[in-house]
Amino acid sequence: MMIARLSPIFSAAFAIAYVIIEQNNLALFTYHPRINEWGWLMEPSRNGPGMYWFGWLGSSALVASLVSLVSVPLLRNRPVPSIMGWAVPLICMVLFVYLLRAFFFR
Amino acid sequence: MIVFLLILHGLCAVALLGAITHQTFAAWWPARKAVGFTPSFRAVQGAKFTNAIVILFIITFVLGAVIYPPYRLNGRTYLETMRMWSVNGSFELKEQFLAIGLGMLPFYWHVWRQSLDDTLALARKMTSALLFFAVWFGFITGHVVNNVKGIM
Repeated sequence: MMIARLSPIFSAAFAIAYVIIEQNNLALFTYHPRINEWGWLMEPSRNGPGMYWFGWLGSSALVASLVSLVSVPLLRNRPVPSIMGWAVPLICMVLFVYLLRAFFFR
Repeated sequence: MIVFLLILHGLCAVALLGAITHQTFAAWWPARKAVGFTPSFRAVQGAKFTNAIVILFIITFVLGAVIYPPYRLNGRTYLETMRMWSVNGSFELKEQFLAIGLGMLPFYWHVWRQSLDDTLALARKMTSALLFFAVWFGFITGHVVNNVKGIM
């Protein structure tokens, strides 16, 4: 039941964390596809491009899980607004359209 | 092997598209009677699709992640060399939309689980609509990128 109550918080925290992590490249790990090697945190490219998307997902999942856990004692007997669960991801999606606009106006 | 996984990724995406489209239309534009094609399309019990959508989303996402490195090495390098910025940017948007969709899955599953809570009706409509948009955008973008430059 608590997991169900925390789901809007996880959803919102994941979306916000993902935007911040992607914009600042705070990857939990880096994958180097050309040489098939993994490294912790953000590493510069090694013999080919580095891939950070997997690391962004890992960082976001970690942050969202921590935020959800921390919110457990704070949410006792308090309702969690369900709007958080979809409005924050919606705003973050729109934000990404804005942040990536340069691709479409070159 | 990569081509096989790419086709499997596409097939799973098609199944996911069908399920999420049925559910989204049923949530936003429900039909009382299944008479004719369009009302029949909308007259489904949306909640019955939830588990299938969650599982298909995860499988499609994982398959996409597996075939992403060959795209990064071959496809994206080609797009950058050819200065096809809008195609490249569309793929960037696809990965961000689907990542946010992945984080929303627990909440989506929660609002659509049986028995349906009336106070969560708007949340059901919105989560389905967001996944609907993300999945359709991802599918079309993936197709366009693959048509421009395959991953091999």
